[in-house]
Amino acid sequence: MALRELSSLEKSLGLKKPNKYSTQGDKKVPVLQSNNGPSLTGLVTIATHLVREANRPELLGSTAEQRAVVQQWLEYRVTKLDNCPKEEIKTILQDLNQYLEDKVYMAGDTFTLADTLMYYGIHRIMVDLAVQEKEKHANVSRWFDHVQHYPGVRHHLPLLVVLRNRLYTSGHH
Amino acid sequence: MALTLTINAGNPPLGPLLVTELVKNSVNVSVEEGKDTMLRISDSVHFNDVNSITRYLVRVAPSLGLYGSNLMEQTEVDHWLEFSARRISGQSSLTAAFEDLDKALSLRTFLVGHSLTLADLCVWAALKGSAGWQAVQAKPGPFPHIRRWFSFLGSQTPFTAVGNKWAKSVVASG
Repeated sequence: MALRELSSLEKSLGLKKPNKYSTQGDKKVPVLQSNNGPSLTGLVTIATHLVREANRPELLGSTAEQRAVVQQWLEYRVTKLDNCPKEEIKTILQDLNQYLEDKVYMAGDTFTLADTLMYYGIHRIMVDLAVQEKEKHANVSRWFDHVQHYPGVRHHLPLLVVLRNRLYTSGHH
Repeated sequence: MALTLTINAGNPPLGPLLVTELVKNSVNVSVEEGKDTMLRISDSVHFNDVNSITRYLVRVAPSLGLYGSNLMEQTEVDHWLEFSARRISGQSSLTAAFEDLDKALSLRTFLVGHSLTLADLCVWAALKGSAGWQAVQAKPGPFPHIRRWFSFLGSQTPFTAVGNKWAKSVVASG
Protein backbone atom coordinates (compact mmCIF):
# COMPACT_ATOMS: atom_id res chain seq x y z
CA MET A 1 0.00 0.00 0.00
CA ALA A 2 2.63 2.51 1.08
CA LEU A 3 4.72 1.65 -1.96
CA ARG A 4 1.93 2.42 -4.42
CA GLU A 5 1.34 5.64 -2.55
CA LEU A 6 4.98 6.66 -2.86
CA SER A 7 5.05 5.92 -6.57
CA SER A 8 1.84 7.98 -7.04
CA LEU A 9 3.44 10.78 -5.05
CA GLU A 10 6.50 10.65 -7.31
CA LYS A 11 4.27 11.07 -10.36
CA SER A 12 2.24 13.89 -8.86
CA LEU A 13 5.47 15.70 -7.97
CA GLY A 14 6.67 15.29 -11.55
CA LEU A 15 9.73 13.22 -10.60
CA LYS A 16 10.90 11.52 -13.78
CA LYS A 17 12.97 8.68 -12.38
CA PRO A 18 11.04 6.23 -10.20
CA ASN A 19 12.90 5.08 -7.10
CA LYS A 20 13.22 1.47 -5.98
CA TYR A 21 11.74 0.71 -2.59
CA SER A 22 11.88 -2.27 -0.30
CA THR A 23 9.89 -3.02 2.84
CA GLN A 24 10.90 -3.84 6.36
CA GLY A 25 9.25 -5.99 9.03
CA ASP A 26 5.67 -7.26 9.42
CA LYS A 27 4.13 -3.82 8.97
CA LYS A 28 5.87 -3.43 5.62
CA VAL A 29 7.50 -0.12 6.44
CA PRO A 30 8.87 1.35 3.18
CA VAL A 31 12.64 1.79 2.79
CA LEU A 32 14.41 3.91 0.20
CA GLN A 33 18.06 3.30 -0.57
CA SER A 34 19.22 6.74 -1.63
CA ASN A 35 22.20 7.31 -3.90
CA ASN A 36 24.10 9.69 -1.71
CA GLY A 37 23.70 8.61 1.87
CA PRO A 38 22.16 6.11 4.24
CA SER A 39 18.80 4.50 3.49
CA LEU A 40 15.58 6.27 4.51
CA THR A 41 12.83 4.48 6.41
CA GLY A 42 9.16 5.31 6.87
CA LEU A 43 6.37 6.77 4.73
CA VAL A 44 6.53 10.34 6.04
CA THR A 45 10.33 10.52 5.94
CA ILE A 46 10.49 9.29 2.36
CA ALA A 47 7.56 11.47 1.24
CA THR A 48 9.22 14.57 2.71
CA HIS A 49 12.46 13.62 1.00
CA LEU A 50 10.67 13.27 -2.37
CA VAL A 51 9.11 16.71 -1.98
CA ARG A 52 12.57 18.22 -1.39
CA GLU A 53 14.00 16.26 -4.30
CA ALA A 54 11.27 17.68 -6.56
CA ASN A 55 12.19 21.15 -5.30
CA ARG A 56 8.67 21.89 -4.05
CA PRO A 57 9.41 23.06 -0.47
CA GLU A 58 6.12 25.01 -0.33
CA LEU A 59 4.33 21.63 -0.10
CA LEU A 60 5.82 21.28 3.39
CA GLY A 61 4.40 24.65 4.45
CA SER A 62 5.57 28.18 3.78
CA THR A 63 5.57 29.68 7.28
CA ALA A 64 6.97 28.19 10.50
CA GLU A 65 3.42 27.71 11.76
CA GLN A 66 2.22 26.03 8.58
CA ARG A 67 5.26 23.71 8.53
CA ALA A 68 4.38 22.60 12.05
CA VAL A 69 0.76 21.95 11.08
CA VAL A 70 1.84 19.90 8.04
CA GLN A 71 4.14 17.77 10.24
CA GLN A 72 1.33 17.32 12.74
CA TRP A 73 -1.01 15.85 10.10
CA LEU A 74 1.70 13.68 8.59
CA GLU A 75 2.23 12.21 12.03
CA TYR A 76 -1.53 11.87 12.56
CA ARG A 77 -1.71 9.95 9.30
CA VAL A 78 0.77 7.25 10.35
CA THR A 79 -0.04 7.05 14.06
CA LYS A 80 -3.83 7.50 14.15
CA LEU A 81 -5.29 6.95 10.70
CA ASP A 82 -3.26 3.93 9.59
CA ASN A 83 -4.36 0.64 11.16
CA CYS A 84 -7.01 2.38 13.23
CA PRO A 85 -9.54 -0.08 14.70
CA LYS A 86 -13.10 0.01 13.30
CA GLU A 87 -14.61 1.53 16.44
CA GLU A 88 -12.32 4.55 16.23
CA ILE A 89 -13.19 5.47 12.64
CA LYS A 90 -16.25 7.39 13.80
CA THR A 91 -14.21 9.51 16.21
CA ILE A 92 -11.64 10.25 13.54
CA LEU A 93 -14.31 11.37 11.07
CA GLN A 94 -15.98 13.56 13.68
CA ASP A 95 -12.70 15.22 14.67
CA LEU A 96 -11.66 15.82 11.08
CA ASN A 97 -15.10 17.13 10.20
CA GLN A 98 -14.92 19.71 12.95
CA TYR A 99 -11.35 20.65 12.08
CA LEU A 100 -12.11 21.15 8.39
CA GLU A 101 -15.20 23.30 8.85
CA ASP A 102 -13.26 26.55 8.39
CA LYS A 103 -10.49 25.20 6.16
CA VAL A 104 -10.15 24.33 2.50
CA TYR A 105 -6.89 22.39 2.99
CA MET A 106 -5.42 20.53 5.97
CA ALA A 107 -2.98 23.39 6.63
CA GLY A 108 -5.32 26.30 5.84
CA ASP A 109 -5.46 28.13 2.53
CA THR A 110 -2.80 26.30 0.53
CA PHE A 111 -2.36 22.76 -0.70
CA THR A 112 0.39 20.79 1.06
CA LEU A 113 1.80 17.27 1.38
CA ALA A 114 -0.56 16.78 4.32
CA ASP A 115 -3.53 16.87 1.90
CA THR A 116 -2.00 14.26 -0.39
CA LEU A 117 -1.08 11.80 2.35
CA MET A 118 -4.28 12.27 4.37
CA TYR A 119 -6.25 11.72 1.16
CA TYR A 120 -4.37 8.49 0.37
CA GLY A 121 -4.83 7.34 3.95
CA ILE A 122 -8.53 8.10 4.35
CA HIS A 123 -9.59 6.72 0.97
CA ARG A 124 -10.21 3.21 2.36
CA ILE A 125 -12.55 4.70 4.97
CA MET A 126 -14.43 6.88 2.48
CA VAL A 127 -14.98 3.91 0.15
CA ASP A 128 -17.13 2.25 2.79
CA LEU A 129 -19.23 5.28 3.78
CA ALA A 130 -22.90 5.43 2.81
CA VAL A 131 -24.22 8.55 1.08
CA GLN A 132 -25.88 9.65 4.31
CA GLU A 133 -22.67 9.27 6.30
CA LYS A 134 -20.75 11.27 3.72
CA GLU A 135 -23.26 14.06 4.08
CA LYS A 136 -23.12 13.83 7.87
CA HIS A 137 -19.39 14.52 7.59
CA ALA A 138 -19.88 17.20 4.96
CA ASN A 139 -16.61 19.01 5.67
CA VAL A 140 -14.54 15.85 5.26
CA SER A 141 -16.46 14.95 2.08
CA ARG A 142 -15.98 18.41 0.62
CA TRP A 143 -12.24 18.37 1.34
CA PHE A 144 -11.93 14.81 0.02
CA ASP A 145 -13.76 15.60 -3.21
CA HIS A 146 -11.65 18.71 -3.73
CA VAL A 147 -8.38 16.81 -3.21
CA GLN A 148 -9.35 13.87 -5.43
CA HIS A 149 -9.98 16.38 -8.24
CA TYR A 150 -6.86 18.40 -7.48
CA PRO A 151 -4.59 18.24 -10.56
CA GLY A 152 -2.24 15.25 -10.48
CA VAL A 153 -3.05 13.86 -7.03
CA ARG A 154 -5.29 10.84 -7.67
CA HIS A 155 -3.18 8.18 -9.37
CA HIS A 156 -3.67 4.67 -8.08
CA LEU A 157 -6.98 5.33 -6.34
CA PRO A 158 -10.49 5.10 -7.86
CA LEU A 159 -12.56 8.28 -8.01
CA LEU A 160 -15.28 8.21 -5.36
CA VAL A 161 -18.70 9.70 -5.87
CA VAL A 162 -19.32 12.53 -3.43
CA LEU A 163 -22.61 14.40 -3.74
CA ARG A 164 -22.20 18.13 -4.06
CA ASN A 165 -25.69 19.12 -3.01
CA ARG A 166 -27.32 18.16 0.27
CA LEU A 167 -30.03 15.50 0.34
CA TYR A 168 -30.82 14.80 3.96
CA THR A 169 -30.69 17.86 6.15
CA SER A 170 -31.93 21.30 5.37
CA GLY A 171 -30.28 22.87 8.39
CA HIS A 172 -26.51 22.81 8.71
CA HIS A 173 -24.32 20.06 10.24
CA MET B 1 -7.92 44.40 -29.92
CA ALA B 2 -7.45 46.78 -27.03
CA LEU B 3 -10.25 47.01 -24.49
CA THR B 4 -10.72 49.84 -22.04
CA LEU B 5 -12.44 49.44 -18.71
CA THR B 6 -13.54 52.75 -17.23
CA ILE B 7 -14.35 52.70 -13.53
CA ASN B 8 -15.54 55.14 -10.93
CA ALA B 9 -12.70 55.18 -8.40
CA GLY B 10 -15.07 56.36 -5.67
CA ASN B 11 -17.20 53.24 -6.05
CA PRO B 12 -15.04 50.70 -7.89
CA PRO B 13 -16.79 47.66 -9.42
CA LEU B 14 -14.86 44.80 -7.76
CA GLY B 15 -16.19 42.05 -10.06
CA PRO B 16 -14.91 43.56 -13.33
CA LEU B 17 -11.63 44.54 -11.63
CA LEU B 18 -11.09 40.96 -10.39
CA VAL B 19 -11.83 39.49 -13.80
CA THR B 20 -9.52 42.04 -15.46
CA GLU B 21 -6.74 41.01 -13.08
CA LEU B 22 -7.25 37.33 -13.95
CA VAL B 23 -7.46 37.72 -17.75
CA LYS B 24 -4.79 40.40 -18.13
CA ASN B 25 -2.23 37.95 -19.55
CA SER B 26 -4.58 36.69 -22.28
CA VAL B 27 -6.65 39.82 -23.03
CA ASN B 28 -5.34 43.30 -23.65
CA VAL B 29 -7.46 45.41 -21.31
CA SER B 30 -6.51 48.67 -19.62
CA VAL B 31 -8.20 50.29 -16.63
CA GLU B 32 -8.99 54.01 -16.57
CA GLU B 33 -10.67 56.13 -13.95
CA GLY B 34 -13.77 58.02 -14.98
CA LYS B 35 -17.33 58.70 -13.99
CA ASP B 36 -19.20 55.49 -14.68
CA THR B 37 -18.38 51.82 -15.06
CA MET B 38 -18.04 50.95 -18.75
CA LEU B 39 -16.19 48.43 -20.89
CA ARG B 40 -15.36 49.82 -24.30
CA ILE B 41 -14.99 47.15 -27.00
CA SER B 42 -15.03 49.38 -30.09
CA ASP B 43 -16.42 52.77 -31.09
CA SER B 44 -19.90 51.35 -31.41
CA VAL B 45 -19.97 48.66 -28.73
CA HIS B 46 -19.74 49.16 -25.01
CA PHE B 47 -21.18 47.46 -21.94
CA ASN B 48 -22.34 49.25 -18.81
CA ASP B 49 -23.76 46.44 -16.75
CA VAL B 50 -21.33 44.68 -14.38
CA ASN B 51 -22.52 41.19 -15.36
CA SER B 52 -22.27 41.96 -19.08
CA ILE B 53 -18.72 43.24 -18.63
CA THR B 54 -17.51 40.20 -16.69
CA ARG B 55 -19.29 37.77 -19.05
CA TYR B 56 -17.63 39.37 -22.05
CA LEU B 57 -14.17 39.34 -20.47
CA VAL B 58 -14.27 35.66 -19.52
CA ARG B 59 -15.70 34.69 -22.93
CA VAL B 60 -12.82 36.29 -24.82
CA ALA B 61 -10.36 34.36 -22.63
CA PRO B 62 -11.81 30.82 -22.96
CA SER B 63 -8.50 29.10 -22.14
CA LEU B 64 -8.81 30.18 -18.50
CA GLY B 65 -11.99 28.16 -18.04
CA LEU B 66 -13.65 30.87 -15.98
CA TYR B 67 -17.04 30.20 -17.58
CA GLY B 68 -17.05 26.52 -16.57
CA SER B 69 -16.09 23.55 -18.71
CA ASN B 70 -19.47 22.45 -20.11
CA LEU B 71 -23.02 23.71 -20.72
CA MET B 72 -24.18 22.58 -17.31
CA GLU B 73 -21.45 24.55 -15.57
CA GLN B 74 -22.08 27.58 -17.78
CA THR B 75 -25.69 27.57 -16.66
CA GLU B 76 -24.60 27.31 -13.04
CA VAL B 77 -22.30 30.29 -13.55
CA ASP B 78 -25.23 32.25 -15.01
CA HIS B 79 -27.30 31.31 -11.98
CA TRP B 80 -24.70 32.75 -9.60
CA LEU B 81 -24.28 35.92 -11.67
CA GLU B 82 -27.99 36.53 -11.27
CA PHE B 83 -27.82 35.58 -7.59
CA SER B 84 -25.04 38.09 -6.91
CA ALA B 85 -26.82 40.93 -8.72
CA ARG B 86 -30.32 40.34 -7.36
CA ARG B 87 -30.05 38.73 -3.99
CA ILE B 88 -26.81 40.11 -2.57
CA SER B 89 -26.51 43.49 -4.25
CA GLY B 90 -30.28 43.97 -4.44
CA GLN B 91 -32.39 44.97 -1.48
CA SER B 92 -34.04 41.59 -0.90
CA SER B 93 -33.76 39.64 2.34
CA LEU B 94 -30.04 39.15 2.85
CA THR B 95 -30.39 36.51 5.55
CA ALA B 96 -32.29 34.18 3.22
CA ALA B 97 -29.69 34.74 0.50
CA PHE B 98 -26.86 33.95 2.94
CA GLU B 99 -28.66 30.78 4.07
CA ASP B 100 -28.96 29.55 0.49
CA LEU B 101 -25.36 30.38 -0.29
CA ASP B 102 -24.11 28.69 2.88
CA LYS B 103 -26.01 25.51 2.05
CA ALA B 104 -24.69 25.50 -1.51
CA LEU B 105 -21.12 25.86 -0.26
CA SER B 106 -21.24 23.15 2.40
CA LEU B 107 -20.10 20.41 -0.02
CA ARG B 108 -18.15 22.62 -2.40
CA THR B 109 -14.77 24.31 -2.36
CA PHE B 110 -15.63 26.44 -5.38
CA LEU B 111 -19.21 27.32 -6.38
CA VAL B 112 -19.06 25.62 -9.78
CA GLY B 113 -16.97 22.60 -10.79
CA HIS B 114 -13.61 22.01 -9.15
CA SER B 115 -11.85 25.27 -9.89
CA LEU B 116 -12.31 29.01 -9.83
CA THR B 117 -15.04 30.40 -12.12
CA LEU B 118 -16.82 33.69 -12.71
CA ALA B 119 -19.43 32.48 -10.20
CA ASP B 120 -16.88 32.71 -7.37
CA LEU B 121 -15.63 36.09 -8.57
CA CYS B 122 -19.00 37.81 -8.85
CA VAL B 123 -20.47 36.41 -5.63
CA TRP B 124 -17.25 37.22 -3.73
CA ALA B 125 -17.21 40.76 -5.12
CA ALA B 126 -20.87 41.28 -4.23
CA LEU B 127 -20.26 40.07 -0.66
CA LYS B 128 -17.11 42.17 -0.31
CA GLY B 129 -19.10 45.28 -1.19
CA SER B 130 -22.08 44.37 0.97
CA ALA B 131 -22.48 46.22 4.27
CA GLY B 132 -24.84 43.43 5.39
CA TRP B 133 -22.15 40.79 4.94
CA GLN B 134 -19.53 42.95 6.67
CA ALA B 135 -21.79 43.22 9.68
CA VAL B 136 -22.31 39.44 9.78
CA GLN B 137 -18.63 38.72 9.23
CA ALA B 138 -17.44 41.08 11.95
CA LYS B 139 -18.53 38.72 14.74
CA PRO B 140 -18.39 34.93 14.98
CA GLY B 141 -21.67 33.20 14.28
CA PRO B 142 -23.65 31.61 11.46
CA PHE B 143 -22.74 30.80 7.84
CA PRO B 144 -19.47 28.87 8.49
CA HIS B 145 -19.28 27.71 4.88
CA ILE B 146 -19.52 31.22 3.42
CA ARG B 147 -16.88 32.38 5.90
CA ARG B 148 -14.47 29.62 4.91
CA TRP B 149 -15.00 30.16 1.18
CA PHE B 150 -14.86 33.95 1.48
CA SER B 151 -11.57 34.04 3.40
CA PHE B 152 -10.04 31.25 1.27
CA LEU B 153 -10.64 33.24 -1.92
CA GLY B 154 -9.59 36.45 -0.19
CA SER B 155 -6.17 34.91 0.51
CA GLN B 156 -5.47 34.12 -3.18
CA THR B 157 -3.38 36.40 -5.36
CA PRO B 158 -5.86 38.19 -7.66
CA PHE B 159 -8.17 38.85 -4.71
CA THR B 160 -5.47 40.29 -2.46
CA ALA B 161 -4.20 42.48 -5.31
CA VAL B 162 -7.66 43.91 -6.03
CA GLY B 163 -8.55 44.04 -2.34
CA ASN B 164 -5.46 46.07 -1.43
CA LYS B 165 -5.93 48.49 -4.27
CA TRP B 166 -9.69 49.03 -4.40
CA ALA B 167 -11.64 47.49 -1.55
CA LYS B 168 -10.85 50.29 0.91
CA SER B 169 -12.88 52.79 -1.06
CA VAL B 170 -15.74 50.28 -1.28
CA VAL B 171 -15.80 49.92 2.48
CA ALA B 172 -15.63 53.68 2.94
CA SER B 173 -18.50 54.37 0.56
CA GLY B 174 -20.55 51.27 1.43
